[in-house]
Amino acid sequence: MFCIIALIVFSILGIFSATHRALAKEALDCVFRRITLRPCNTGFREKIKSQILVRLLNRSAFLARLFSRHFELLSWIFFILMIGSTFWVVKGGYNYYLYGSCNGLNQSGFCAFDPKGENNKVTEINTQCGAVEKKEENVTLNNVDLSSFPTKNIGSKDTVVLIGCYECDYTRKAYSDIQKLVREKKTNYIFAHYPAKENTNYLSEVGYCVYKEYGEKFWPFNNYLFTVDKVEIYQPEYVGTILKNFDFDVNKINDCINDPTTKEAVSNQVNQLVKTHLYGTPTVFINGKALVGPKPYRVYKSMLNKFIIF
Amino acid sequence: MLNYEKIKNDFPLLNKQFKEKPVIYFDSACMSLKPRQVIEAMNEYYFDFPACSGRSSHKLGELVTKKIKEARQIVARFIHASEQEIVFTRNTTEAINLLANSLDLKSGDLVLTTDKEHNSNLIPWQLMVKKKGIRHEIVRSNVDNTFDLEKYKELVKRAKLVSMVHTSNLDGTTIPAKEIIKIAHENGALVFLDVAQSIPHIKIDVKDLDVDFLAFSGHKMLGPTGTGVFYGKSNLLEKLEPFMVGGDTVEYSTYTDYKMLNTPEKFEAGLQDYAGIIGLGEVVKYLEAVGFDNIREQELKLNTYITEEITKLSKIKIIGPSDPKLRSGIISFYIDGVDMHQIALMLDEMSNVMIRSGQHCVHSWFNDKKIKNSARVSLYFYNTMEEAEEFIRCLNKIIKIL
Repeated sequence: MFCIIALIVFSILGIFSATHRALAKEALDCVFRRITLRPCNTGFREKIKSQILVRLLNRSAFLARLFSRHFELLSWIFFILMIGSTFWVVKGGYNYYLYGSCNGLNQSGFCAFDPKGENNKVTEINTQCGAVEKKEENVTLNNVDLSSFPTKNIGSKDTVVLIGCYECDYTRKAYSDIQKLVREKKTNYIFAHYPAKENTNYLSEVGYCVYKEYGEKFWPFNNYLFTVDKVEIYQPEYVGTILKNFDFDVNKINDCINDPTTKEAVSNQVNQLVKTHLYGTPTVFINGKALVGPKPYRVYKSMLNKFIIF
Repeated sequence: MLNYEKIKNDFPLLNKQFKEKPVIYFDSACMSLKPRQVIEAMNEYYFDFPACSGRSSHKLGELVTKKIKEARQIVARFIHASEQEIVFTRNTTEAINLLANSLDLKSGDLVLTTDKEHNSNLIPWQLMVKKKGIRHEIVRSNVDNTFDLEKYKELVKRAKLVSMVHTSNLDGTTIPAKEIIKIAHENGALVFLDVAQSIPHIKIDVKDLDVDFLAFSGHKMLGPTGTGVFYGKSNLLEKLEPFMVGGDTVEYSTYTDYKMLNTPEKFEAGLQDYAGIIGLGEVVKYLEAVGFDNIREQELKLNTYITEEITKLSKIKIIGPSDPKLRSGIISFYIDGVDMHQIALMLDEMSNVMIRSGQHCVHSWFNDKKIKNSARVSLYFYNTMEEAEEFIRCLNKIIKIL
């Protein structure tokens, strides 16, 4: 039995180390002999046991004695631990590849592949009293009306919704990947500005009016707001210059902004976004599945490819 | 008196280290270390005259022929034989097979062996039982594993051949060869002695022993692997039919016939290990220079110390007589319920102490006694007291955790 345990353990370790690869070969030889009903006469078990015993003996005779007397039992315990930890490592790697976090979608626990948790960082938004608890599983598009938000590629089978704020670093980080995804996959795309920071709250109305008055021309303008230095969008007067640069009629936009129906519409938009129970930006929905925080591009792409197991 | 500085210089391995520790080589019964002089003699063949012996008449061929002849003379002188009585083989095993297959054994002929034979002196006779219908009987040892002469006297009366290990590789005990041979001859039996384990440690004189056949290997006596010697009294060798024939065993051949060469050539079929044979000649010179008295003295000193220390460990049982004087350079021991491979591997891992573990090719004895295996320390003159002390220190530590 030890040979089989050793084969599995050393095969896994052998991926990273040539020494363990050689031991895996020895273990394989031993297993082969056993399955062909021959005795394992390679001395493999004794060899491994002695190497461990001598190392232990150099530190503590008590530990060495304990190990010597319960070698089989300890082998099993270490084997089970090894299998368990290997499963979690594989699962962690799989999760990291698919979701950008070892712990699963939007989970912010420690991840060796992303030790700073960059893929889960969000700009937190203020919650209101009585609001639903901040949990990824509560974030949803159910009963949320997104019809008033800027939309393109209508009719596509896949839908990407980006909820973010112009000033927020993490939204800015995710933005370019989302644009690339929409461009490459031609998905239905809805953009929603959530005013997570006061400096740029007013841009909700600006964006609403640009989309209302100019339709498709909204998108280059939107791209610009996400790529320009943040300082330029802190002051409304600068934005006037930006609007001019895009050949928008500033007066017309201002009239729209000052229209009470705009205020009501934007307020209604925010209310709809609150219904998603989002707790930070960026929040991206891909075919209804929420991804909170700026994920690597492959994560967004794999959500569309749908080869997710866990 | 041994000069250890010189010995250390002579054996390259003794100057090497593994994991920053020197090698403590206690496995000479399996394979002895090789002195520089032997290695150089072999290298000289490969570098300077790598030609055939006894075939080519050019300068190099003649030089090899001369060197091989010299080696044969040296070996013959070493055991007090004549040149024609020395047949070079690959090892003792081949020599015994030669004898088993060449001797005119008939159905019903009895071959006697001891109960501690190496497989090399057991299986060939068991095979002959199947092939020719000979009988094979075993002279069981006394309780302390020494030779039971009385039992032997009863069995030898019906024997055609007594084929026995001189010094056992299992426990180091040496049988009273001279007496055994005398009794055998009185009863009309021939005697073969396997001296592979005795010739590295004691002086062997075939004339004094009056032994009929004898064999030993080079690799256990500081010599190269793949070399061995089969000795036979010349009148007996002449009667033996060769076991293997071919190149360099015949004077001439036609499509229908051949004429065999005389001994020893008729037994040395095919191209020989010339480098090895030359090395073997060099070994004899080296051993004679060291001196068997010195070898014996050093082995006994170390064996006595190790035996005394091991005896203090209650768990350990020594195979064979308790008196180290009766066990050559061997201390073979076991612990009930413990796999001795484990101990050997740990000694190696701890301090590069290299001993052998297992059944030492004497499976029959272990199976009969129902002992799983043993660890065997086999000493030679190049081992030191410091090495023996380190072995005991490590063994003590290991025993405590088992």
